[in-house]
Amino acid sequence: MGTHAKLNRRLGAFAVVLFLIVAALGVRLVDFQVVKAAEIQEKSLASRSMTQTLQALRGDILDSSGQVLAKTVFRYDVNAAPKNVGPVFQTIDGVRTERSVDEIALELSQLLGVDYGEIMIRLEGDSEYSNLAKTVNAETYNAIRDLDIPWIFFDQFEDRLYPMGAVAGNVLGFVGSDGTPLAGLERQYNTCLAGVDGQETFERSAEGVRIPTSNQTTQPTEDGGQLNLSIDANLQFFAQQVLADTVNELSARWASAIVVEVETGRILAAAEAPTVDPNDPAAVPAADRGSRIFQAAFEPGSIMKAVSSSMVLDTGTADEYDTVSAPDRMNLDFDNEYIKDSFSHEDFTLSLAGVLRYSSNTGMTNFASQIPRETRYEYLKKFGFGSVSPLRFEGESSGILHPASQWDEMTNLVTTFGQGISVTSLQMAYAYQAIANGGVRLDPILVDSCLAADGSIAYAPNQGSTRVLSTASANVNLELMEKVVEFGGVGKTAAIPGYRVGGKTGTAEIKSGSGYGDEYAISFYGIAPAENPKFVVGVTIYRPEGVSNSSKATPPFKAIMQQALKHYRIPPSTTESRSIPSDKYGQIDEND
Amino acid sequence: MSIFMVSANEAKKLRPSLMAAAVLIIGLVAVLVGQIGLNMVLTHDAYELRSLKLEKRDLATEVQIIQEEVSSLSSPQNLADAANRLGMVANPASVLLDIESNKIYGKPSPAKAEGQQVASANLVANSALGAISEFSLATVSSGEVQVSVETSNNSDTGLVLQSGFIPASPTR
Repeated sequence: MGTHAKLNRRLGAFAVVLFLIVAALGVRLVDFQVVKAAEIQEKSLASRSMTQTLQALRGDILDSSGQVLAKTVFRYDVNAAPKNVGPVFQTIDGVRTERSVDEIALELSQLLGVDYGEIMIRLEGDSEYSNLAKTVNAETYNAIRDLDIPWIFFDQFEDRLYPMGAVAGNVLGFVGSDGTPLAGLERQYNTCLAGVDGQETFERSAEGVRIPTSNQTTQPTEDGGQLNLSIDANLQFFAQQVLADTVNELSARWASAIVVEVETGRILAAAEAPTVDPNDPAAVPAADRGSRIFQAAFEPGSIMKAVSSSMVLDTGTADEYDTVSAPDRMNLDFDNEYIKDSFSHEDFTLSLAGVLRYSSNTGMTNFASQIPRETRYEYLKKFGFGSVSPLRFEGESSGILHPASQWDEMTNLVTTFGQGISVTSLQMAYAYQAIANGGVRLDPILVDSCLAADGSIAYAPNQGSTRVLSTASANVNLELMEKVVEFGGVGKTAAIPGYRVGGKTGTAEIKSGSGYGDEYAISFYGIAPAENPKFVVGVTIYRPEGVSNSSKATPPFKAIMQQALKHYRIPPSTTESRSIPSDKYGQIDEND
Repeated sequence: MSIFMVSANEAKKLRPSLMAAAVLIIGLVAVLVGQIGLNMVLTHDAYELRSLKLEKRDLATEVQIIQEEVSSLSSPQNLADAANRLGMVANPASVLLDIESNKIYGKPSPAKAEGQQVASANLVANSALGAISEFSLATVSSGEVQVSVETSNNSDTGLVLQSGFIPASPTR
């Protein structure tokens, strides 16, 4: 019995101890699982869970044939943790090798193009972060990662790449190093191009591996849309080559060329020199980072005469056979003012074709001043002058067109040959587009569409049109413009073998202070083929040194128009131009 | 504590069932083993997922490197320079053939290196230019670069010659 009692006591003691232990654990358990549950849960989740922002990719910008003009790429910052810097041991095929810090630094300096000494300095200290190189490309990143150095780590970020460099750089614009769009279409169409960043939360183990079935709250990433331009990169490059050459040759401030597809109003090329390479906008002065085609207004000079002549025809003021007197100098009946032509000549009696061909200021004045100024002002407005186009390109200039009521006597007359008014290349090109397109001016198009990431059309331009002239007047006017290229002194140099070309030269003195200086804006705007117009090409060269006529503007025009005709496989003209007299004697032969 | 008298038969019934215990324990073990197995599979998949993600990242990087190289090689700046190094000169005098009327438009004339409005070497900046075409007059003549045009007899290329229509080259 004694043994039994002893056993019972021991059992009792064991039970008590066991109970106490279980009770203690129970209390702790309740404490952890119930009382502090929320707090602990939160703590543990915080240490395990990661919230990651999923970067949305900025959309691409493509030209009309799908060539990439701008795209998003990944770049990397290469960093080290100096605290952990040390030799790296590696076992390859059972052989243990050691790479010293010196060796690694040498390899890094070669790959990063950073001085060896500089690398060594950056590896010193006991901090956890030291930047070795910024914005390295994927190739370098791969090479460094292959070195397998535990104390090197990378920061990946998005960067913008413009594979064609300065091709259309003037209209594309550029983005800042933080991805903020700073200029051009990049900024204007940011809502199309920018994506919406996503977010995900997950739990991970100590080694960084995701714990399966851990909560993953994901806000889906929406990548940016794709912007499709009307620009043809090949033609754009060609035009930029030609202009770069021209600017060099003439020591001009700048030159621009715009190519417009007549039937659609699409801008196929908007080329300029000098211009910006959006990969490196800081390399050029701020003035060259935009687009002068849209942003710079200038006095057009004689290229305006083709516009005035169309008004004369459309209002019925005169037809292609009517003539006016065109002396080389014409005194006006106010303020001792006079108008003169650019060259001395005997008194001409010219038809509209003759006025354009000789680019006679007096003749143009005598024709167009018969139209009431209010009517001419309305025409100019319908041609698109004095207002910003629906493109609303950033910083687009409206040019200057004062209301007719504000025109003084002189302005009333000189606007007919392109003085007292300022225009952009864009406006002038679309005035010519209206003449080429049977009198209907189409709104310019630079962006064909924006496609959302899912392929749906997020934006497409709603193109408007304005009837400016009757079809008949527009067509006759184009025939008059052909005479400039057939017979005009300078105009002849714009002729393209095999094609009927119409156009107009322009030499505008550039205002310096209150008068005109000895610098010029020379232009040639033209249309081809005249019998079935496909393209308007407008070339403007600003402040060319020592050039006072437009003969230097025709070679770039010719080169670019010829390239456009060839590139788009436009068949040569099969018809001849109509015989239209230049003066009262019906003279149509070659002059000067 | 009280003691009861029971018959041998009843005592047998009251004895704990070995069978029930076995089922219970085996069941528990099976559940545990199953859970461990499932966990192992899931964990293994998680590691595989991670390694696949790393592989995807590496491949994406590889694609980016190759794409950048292609963009650089196909950029007009590289093409203009490469053509220029080969001694090629732009020829603005184009000649068109009308196969419907058997007419030739334009006068064929050789390109001249001097006095052309069209620059042959590149004048347009591109700081993104990385890889460039390696061929030059020297490398081509020494046969270091093979230039060949692959011809294909595949009739499904979409290039069907129609009368009066010369198809545009698919190359650029």
